Amino acid sequence: MRSLISTLPGRIGTVLAVTLLVAWSLGPIYWSLVTSLTPPLNLLGAPSLWPQQITFEHYAKLFGATSMSQGNAVQSVWPQFSAALANSLITSILATIVTVAIAAFGAYAFVRLEFPGRDLLFVAVVATLAIPAYTVMIPLYRLMISLKLIDTYTGITLIYVSAFLPLALWLMRSVYQAMPISLEEAAWLDGAGRIYTLVHIVLPLSAPGLIASAILTFLNAWGQFMVPLVFSPTLATKPLTVLIPEFVTRNYIDFGLMNAAGILAIIPPVLLVLFLNRYLVSGLMAGATK
Amino acid sequence: MPSSYPRRNRTPGELALAAALVIPIVIVMGGLVFWPLATSVVDSFFRIDPMKPGTPFVGLANYGALMADSNVQTAWLNTLAYVAIAVVLETIGGMGAALLLNRVKHGRQWLLAITVLPWCLPPVVNAIVWMWIFNPSYGLLNHALLWLGVIDSRQVWFNDRATALFLVSLVHVWRMMPLTAVILLAALQSIPRDLYEAARLDGAGPIKSFRLVTLPLISSGLAIALSQSTVFAFNLFDEAWILSGSSLDTRSVIIQVYLTAFQNLRFSSGMALSILAMLASLLVSLIYVLRVYRETRYD
Repeated sequence: MRSLISTLPGRIGTVLAVTLLVAWSLGPIYWSLVTSLTPPLNLLGAPSLWPQQITFEHYAKLFGATSMSQGNAVQSVWPQFSAALANSLITSILATIVTVAIAAFGAYAFVRLEFPGRDLLFVAVVATLAIPAYTVMIPLYRLMISLKLIDTYTGITLIYVSAFLPLALWLMRSVYQAMPISLEEAAWLDGAGRIYTLVHIVLPLSAPGLIASAILTFLNAWGQFMVPLVFSPTLATKPLTVLIPEFVTRNYIDFGLMNAAGILAIIPPVLLVLFLNRYLVSGLMAGATK
Repeated sequence: MPSSYPRRNRTPGELALAAALVIPIVIVMGGLVFWPLATSVVDSFFRIDPMKPGTPFVGLANYGALMADSNVQTAWLNTLAYVAIAVVLETIGGMGAALLLNRVKHGRQWLLAITVLPWCLPPVVNAIVWMWIFNPSYGLLNHALLWLGVIDSRQVWFNDRATALFLVSLVHVWRMMPLTAVILLAALQSIPRDLYEAARLDGAGPIKSFRLVTLPLISSGLAIALSQSTVFAFNLFDEAWILSGSSLDTRSVIIQVYLTAFQNLRFSSGMALSILAMLASLLVSLIYVLRVYRETRYD
């Protein structure tokens, strides 16, 4: 039985801590959004936490045919920006589909089927989670050159799949392990085959795990920087993460433009967190606690 | 890895089905991870340099040259600084956030979503957002500190190596702390409530019950969180590259690998360095796992 007096400081402390956590997590994103909506001249003055005057000119530079910069009409960056946006979407979605498909079927074999070397293979694949991805970059680069897969969607997708498959496999295996085998046995007694059971009974029941693996893979692929920096030299496959920093190397740094591009690039992750956070967090937790 | 189901007789065709389901994994992981890893190890004993003829066996010469290279030494020191700062801040911050999330009852899902958000964003965008905050002339950091009276003139933050290392780490911590928080939250939620009740009845205060109940029971989660933070901090590339490019002050080992291999085209030297980075990262993670297990086991 605690008195009001002893819980009141605790409550105030909790409220303060929550405020601090929210400010720390959202502050930089909010500031980027404000910057992307502030006219260029105002960016050079004292900052204000609320935009005094809202402008969409930074976004217009990204989307328009031509735009004004320091009083001169300049070519817009839309051709590059749209190509990079498409590349980001294509490589991330392809990598997600392929990774989740291989993991969904492969993990089933690791849980429900017996074959020689099963546990060894699983441990070997999951152990690569502890290997920094960059360790294999150089031989991979030479391999991709000899296969003529540099700057192709196939090459990038394959690299992403090899990098993100272990986590998805680990996740899907823990999902299947938690699933009672009795459901499948009932289907087998009714004469259903293994593959039929997997596709029509196991996979639908594993939907939350599949969604979690898909989100984790997509977010990882969407944020990749060093892999495309090496393997996507041109706009044929160059994603947003590689294009946006290139705005810096012009004669001056256009922070309004960069923040606007950054805000657009975080829309897909933000939508995933807003609508599918439950699955994302359960995926992160499952990956950590097993 | 314990098998989680009882052994039974293999049904006909099971082996063929297993092979069909597993072969894609074997091809992708074998071809794109294990084979390159093996060639990386082998090739690090040869001189592979597109600018020089032949690929002679050079033994440990690549490794020896790396030990002597002062740029490489600086990169190692920078990476160690990143690992130290990131692991400490992520663990303290992540533990705080996890304890708070475990305590909050109303709107926990929303607070969790907000906490996780930085981890979900592309690291490059995070770095750009912070680069603007750190901008010497117009950045929020200078304005805020001037306004608070902490500094009396605008600072060019990246002119000072220690500050630069700290700020790069801070951006990394901003991105990676959510992962530590979620891992620790999962561990906290697995602790039975009545243990705290029992500790309270035995007269343990909040700090004592944290030390005697919480810490031992989240030790495996803590070990995972620590090794995750370490591996990711060893891999730090994006934040340092965006915030100050190839500058030696903030150059991490992975940036050094990138410069060696893809700008100077000294492939085998880069491979030797990336193998050393991998070994160091694995070793430090292993130490944590062993130590955390030993120090928190009371049985």
